[in-house]
Amino acid sequence: MPSRVNGQRSAAVLIPLLVLHLALLSLQIERPSGTLLFKSWTMAAQAPVLSLFARITGGVGDFWRGYFWLVGARAENEALREAVNRLSLLNGAYEQSRLENARLRRLLALSDSMQKHTLGARVTARAPSFLANLVYIDRGERHGVRVDAPVISGEGIVGRVLLVSAGQAQVQLITNPGAAIGVMLENSRTPGVLAGTGDPLLELKYIGNTDPVAVGELVLSSGLDGILPKGMTIGRVVEVEKGKGVFQAIRVKPLVDLIHLEEVAVLLDPQTPETAGPLP
Amino acid sequence: MKYIFLALSSFLAIIAQMIAGENFFLFNFLDLSLLLAAYWAIYRSRMQALFVGSLTGILLDAALGWPLGYNGFGRTLAAFVVGQCWKRFNTADQPWVRFSIFAAASCINSASIYLLFWFMQRSSSGIFPGASLLQAVITAGVGVVAFAAVDGYRRIQTHKAH
Repeated sequence: MPSRVNGQRSAAVLIPLLVLHLALLSLQIERPSGTLLFKSWTMAAQAPVLSLFARITGGVGDFWRGYFWLVGARAENEALREAVNRLSLLNGAYEQSRLENARLRRLLALSDSMQKHTLGARVTARAPSFLANLVYIDRGERHGVRVDAPVISGEGIVGRVLLVSAGQAQVQLITNPGAAIGVMLENSRTPGVLAGTGDPLLELKYIGNTDPVAVGELVLSSGLDGILPKGMTIGRVVEVEKGKGVFQAIRVKPLVDLIHLEEVAVLLDPQTPETAGPLP
Repeated sequence: MKYIFLALSSFLAIIAQMIAGENFFLFNFLDLSLLLAAYWAIYRSRMQALFVGSLTGILLDAALGWPLGYNGFGRTLAAFVVGQCWKRFNTADQPWVRFSIFAAASCINSASIYLLFWFMQRSSSGIFPGASLLQAVITAGVGVVAFAAVDGYRRIQTHKAH
């Protein structure tokens, strides 16, 4: 028994001595990087312990923060939600401004190409009945707007001014059943009359059965009505049928999206003092 | 007093090995410090033998100009092996058993140094294994003879005492 105890004591001394020698060596020998082995071993020995403690403390911290430290989290959540909503609205406004800017640029380009005095206007209201096909703009007599003044957008003709007051005007859209415009077909230059029907599609009248009309052909203003200038785009032929009588039944789709109209330009007489004013 | 003797004997073993190796080539393959640690493990205390191994090893490292610890590690291990084997095997009048124990201890000492070199400095001498084997044989042979003489001396002393 004493021998066994002595052997255990020897082993108990052996291990520290061996470790002592290893430590002694590691304090003298450097790695190629210049780091002492002792340091790199110490770091290597620390790493798993530190990692374990970091995991434990991190886990405890996460648990604490996730489940107990929620004081104010609800209020913060609400505040963040409000901020997100506010920013979303702001972002939407910016997007609208960008789109508006693009539309106005198209309008401006059209005005320049026509070399006419134009007045920018914003659509403020639509007539209560959808079938009325009337809209209101925020420019009126004091801005130089007159009755029958053509109203256009970047894509083409919108309509004409029907009524005018000091600060606003009522615009009759080309889809209005009472609207009629002198037009011509782009290719054949055949003249006709484009009339509103109350529907989204317009009716092209007085085109003879023998006149060539192609689906997709552009319809332009002829200028013969004395209101609209010649050559402005209005719509595109979408249906052509041989009529029972002398004329064909032709349906035209307006180029302008009249349902979602927001900004327009009013063509003014050259004598009108205020021209090409900015949008309010 | 005991520890002074321990340190002194360790120091003398190294000095003796250096002087002998300088004058007789084969003494370069005789590990006197290992035999000293073995002596301590067999005839005195196995635990103290570990310290003897450590001390002689460190002194040898210093003498060789190596980083301190290579020989200390190996000789401590060797002293432990000798002490444990001497306890477990019947070594009385069994020269081959003794030879094997000494040779094994020497080989363990050399192998541990070799591995430590490789592990810590990524380099080791190509002749090291062969030289270590030769050292093990010579050290074991000398050890068997020397410890047989010690045993004989101790027997005579015991008879005289009776």
